[in-house]
Amino acid sequence: MEFKNDSVVAEGSRHGHFMRQALLMGEKALQSGETPVGCVLVHNDQIVGFGMNDTNRSMNGTRHAEFIAIAEMLQSYPRSALQSTDLYVTVEPCVMCASALKQYHIRGVYFGCANDRFGGTGGVLSLHSDSSIDPSYPVYGGLFEKEAIMLLRRFYIQENEKAPNPRPKKNRELNTKFENGNEEVPSTW
Amino acid sequence: MDVEKTIRDLQPLDGQVVPIRTVQETRPPEEFGNAFVAEVNVKSASKVIKALDAAFPKNPSLPLSHLRRFAKRELLPDLLRAAIESQSPPPAAPAQTIFVLISPPLPDLTTLKALLAPFAPDTAPAATNDSPTTNEVPGEASHPDPSAHTIQLHPATIPLCPPFNAAQAETWTKTLWPVVFNPAAPRSTVAPPPQILKRAQESIEPRAGYYLSLARKVAEEAEQSGLGRGVGAVIVDPAIEEEITETVYQTGHDTTTEWDQAVLAVAGDARYSRSEAGAPSQAQLHAGVAPNPASKIYNADVEGGPELHALMRAVDLIARWRREHDRLDDPSASTTTAGPSKPELEQPELSALESYFLYRHRPVTSTNISNSPQSPSSLLKRKYQDPNPESDLTIDPSTDPCQSQLHHPPLPAPPPSTVVLAGSSTPAITPAAPRIRTRSQGGYLCTDLDVYLTHEPCLCCSMGMLLSRFRSVIFPRRGRLDSGGLSSEPAVGPVADEVDQAAKADASAVDKQDERRYYGLHWRKELNWRALGFEFVENGGVEVEVKGEKAGLPVFHA
Repeated sequence: MEFKNDSVVAEGSRHGHFMRQALLMGEKALQSGETPVGCVLVHNDQIVGFGMNDTNRSMNGTRHAEFIAIAEMLQSYPRSALQSTDLYVTVEPCVMCASALKQYHIRGVYFGCANDRFGGTGGVLSLHSDSSIDPSYPVYGGLFEKEAIMLLRRFYIQENEKAPNPRPKKNRELNTKFENGNEEVPSTW
Repeated sequence: MDVEKTIRDLQPLDGQVVPIRTVQETRPPEEFGNAFVAEVNVKSASKVIKALDAAFPKNPSLPLSHLRRFAKRELLPDLLRAAIESQSPPPAAPAQTIFVLISPPLPDLTTLKALLAPFAPDTAPAATNDSPTTNEVPGEASHPDPSAHTIQLHPATIPLCPPFNAAQAETWTKTLWPVVFNPAAPRSTVAPPPQILKRAQESIEPRAGYYLSLARKVAEEAEQSGLGRGVGAVIVDPAIEEEITETVYQTGHDTTTEWDQAVLAVAGDARYSRSEAGAPSQAQLHAGVAPNPASKIYNADVEGGPELHALMRAVDLIARWRREHDRLDDPSASTTTAGPSKPELEQPELSALESYFLYRHRPVTSTNISNSPQSPSSLLKRKYQDPNPESDLTIDPSTDPCQSQLHHPPLPAPPPSTVVLAGSSTPAITPAAPRIRTRSQGGYLCTDLDVYLTHEPCLCCSMGMLLSRFRSVIFPRRGRLDSGGLSSEPAVGPVADEVDQAAKADASAVDKQDERRYYGLHWRKELNWRALGFEFVENGGVEVEVKGEKAGLPVFHA
């Protein structure tokens, strides 16, 4: 399912509010030199877990935002609370996280932009709805999509000093255009 | 637990390492397309190709280089030949003609016919052929009379993807159109290049039985502790294996006793270890009871989470070791990069085996570069007392150096400058260095490492394995799980006798609901990272796929 009209959602709706918080986490990730993906877990209209990508600092490629948020939540809630918890994440969960969320019996997932390289909820695989020993969960994409993409673009024009062979990206310019022709730079967070 | 004795006593599993096929191999898309076949004069074959290639551009994403461009009449597949001959009977001199394939993207047929007309076979008697010369009209000579040279286009079906193997190539050649099988063809997104797969398989085979045996021991430890299910993971560095093999080759002693030297880390499942919301963990609730009663069923609420699965824990142990050593490498790094609000994921205390493998040092030959950190080792969590790396020498020329390191605690020894190994063919031993490369040594995630598991990892761990950049993943076929992410097809038992056939028929009658999905996640062309996947098929064991609950085991995620 897609949110056809971002602005309607953005106007003070609860989905918009929580996705803004996820975007703020993504912004924080960007400032810490992490791939800018952020998320929040929402239980009874309360944010119970914040997560941002943490792979560079932890030197563990599996430390995605979703796991960080779940770890925070479980400090105060039992695992079973995830059954009545929704995830708001700036980028579609990868295959690993899509499976983890299913194992955790997440109630629903709202994401910003799709992930056509690793996405596990429709991007590459559709683990959220595949039959398994855990229940399926609904996924809603496209919420603040442009903002999520801009975060990623701002990250990928940087050079990755941590990579074994960093690629020089001196001449790259930030692409602010979207396919529909609108030039739109999201306000800074 | 006497860890070293445990390791010494391990009996390797006996069996074979078998590559896990990719889903593209087990379920090849087998996409077919329409093409045309035209009979042309054999003498103009090269001109035909030139004319076709010049007039009709190819689709670069559809190379079709596996298709032969020409086929002699006798090499046409029977059906195609019959179809062609029903339309145009073979000419008197069949040796003079050949069939050319016009493959997609298909051009306009009129244009195609006109293009090929000059190369049409001399089918008709000389009289009609001579018509242009007897009837000299300017311009006609360069444009052969279409009625004299007719091109018949015959529809054909062709495979759009290269064949996976010689057998498939042969089938297609017999039924569709002659096809070439090129084992070196770049099909790496669909399946690993055969030479790379073979090299890895050869490097894995000699010691896989040991690593898997160790993984089972780790699993047993996890289960007995009540902290997790009986699942274990072992991370191995193939580069160290190669060094051992090399050293062994130089000194000529037996290699098998040193299999454990290449183990970087082991980890057991710990799904019951976590305390949630301050409540006691499942392990604490059932303290002293092993296996943990929670493991008898699959109740998601008490399954911890995939980050507590063996593979994920092993990956994090490598990362944890690097984090600890990074601080030693560069004390400023920890304060600048570590955020204040990023607690490490809660992990249980390391088990005896986990701690032993993570924090032991390796004896290093003089040819290796020693990069042991020069910082106080007190900052390191050392369960087993290690002397200062400066003086950490284990020298006993009378015995195998690795053995002595293994069986006896390291002995303090003189600094390296004074070490003389007179008359010994054993390479000189320099201070022990860690097995895991630090970040400053270029260590990055689990790049180029192998992971051995007791069970097929769940989808989450399978993807975690890819994100960690492992070279390969190996698990015993017996450890397949319905919830696994790596298998790409049902395990097929030997089909030697009627009993097996009956069992197979029985299996195929199983309700479709019970059928697991096969993701073959280790090598998917859709994903950006790929690893080599292997199953270990034990000798003498019944390797028919065990269907979870039917075998009395709950289905769970490993």
